[in-house]
Amino acid sequence: MKPSDKSWERLVAAARRAPPAGDEAAPFGFSTRVAALAFEQRQAPPALFARTALRAAAVAGLLAAAAVALNFSAIKGAFDDDPASAAPDDPIAEVVDLGS
Amino acid sequence: MPDDQSFDLAGCLGRVRQRDQTAARELVEHLHPLVIRIVRAHLPRRVSEEDLAQDIFLKMFTRIDQYQGAVPFTHWVSRIAVTTCIDQLRAQKRRPELRWADLSERETDVLDSAITNENDVAPDEALAARELVQKLLGQLKPEDRMVIQYLDLDQKSIAEISQLTGWNKTLVKVRAFRARRKLQRFYRELTEKEHA
Repeated sequence: MKPSDKSWERLVAAARRAPPAGDEAAPFGFSTRVAALAFEQRQAPPALFARTALRAAAVAGLLAAAAVALNFSAIKGAFDDDPASAAPDDPIAEVVDLGS
Repeated sequence: MPDDQSFDLAGCLGRVRQRDQTAARELVEHLHPLVIRIVRAHLPRRVSEEDLAQDIFLKMFTRIDQYQGAVPFTHWVSRIAVTTCIDQLRAQKRRPELRWADLSERETDVLDSAITNENDVAPDEALAARELVQKLLGQLKPEDRMVIQYLDLDQKSIAEISQLTGWNKTLVKVRAFRARRKLQRFYRELTEKEHA
């Protein structure tokens, strides 16, 4: 064994003789605080939020689908590429006409 | 204490699962000595031992429904404590180089005595020796530090370390071998710089 191994062994043996670092019992109020925090974490809020959020998403989806269904013709018309539907005095139509 | 035979651990766990806060308090008080010993042995710099112990207990309660009884409950809690300490040590990333000037007068005396004397370090220098060993271990990677702490300071067997950490025996042996080599290098550098 190398000399440094021996000195490390002597050092560690001395360290082992040191008294325990302090009281190992839980400090006053520690267990109460930890138990309260633990149950607070495990309680409903995340689950309740998740359930509410899921329901809200479903309702929002239904409303969106109903809105599309009710306004389908207007939406379809907006995408029709009918030049006649453009107003004659539409400035954008005039610029396009000048260019062509 | 976790060794207390009178404590009904199984009953207490059952009540904790039924959200009994009194049982949760009893469980914390029962396991606190075990957890605080691990925390004190592996405490990262600038981290309060109470905060770290609280984190460990909160993780334990979060995962308590996953405990199937495959290993003793104290081993299961030890593994949570060990991984939490390692995570905290990893979060610090940088391990400042230890220099002779960083050591207190008592620590340098202890180190000199360990290097030069054929006899053991004096009993009244035990606290300084422990501080010095912790400073040297602080130079190692968290996993390496843990292995040396368990092997050399706590004098645990490879099998016991394997149970406490969840690492297999081969991994413990390999880590111990590498950790010893690194520690020897740090130790040699520290002492050679001073005595050069």
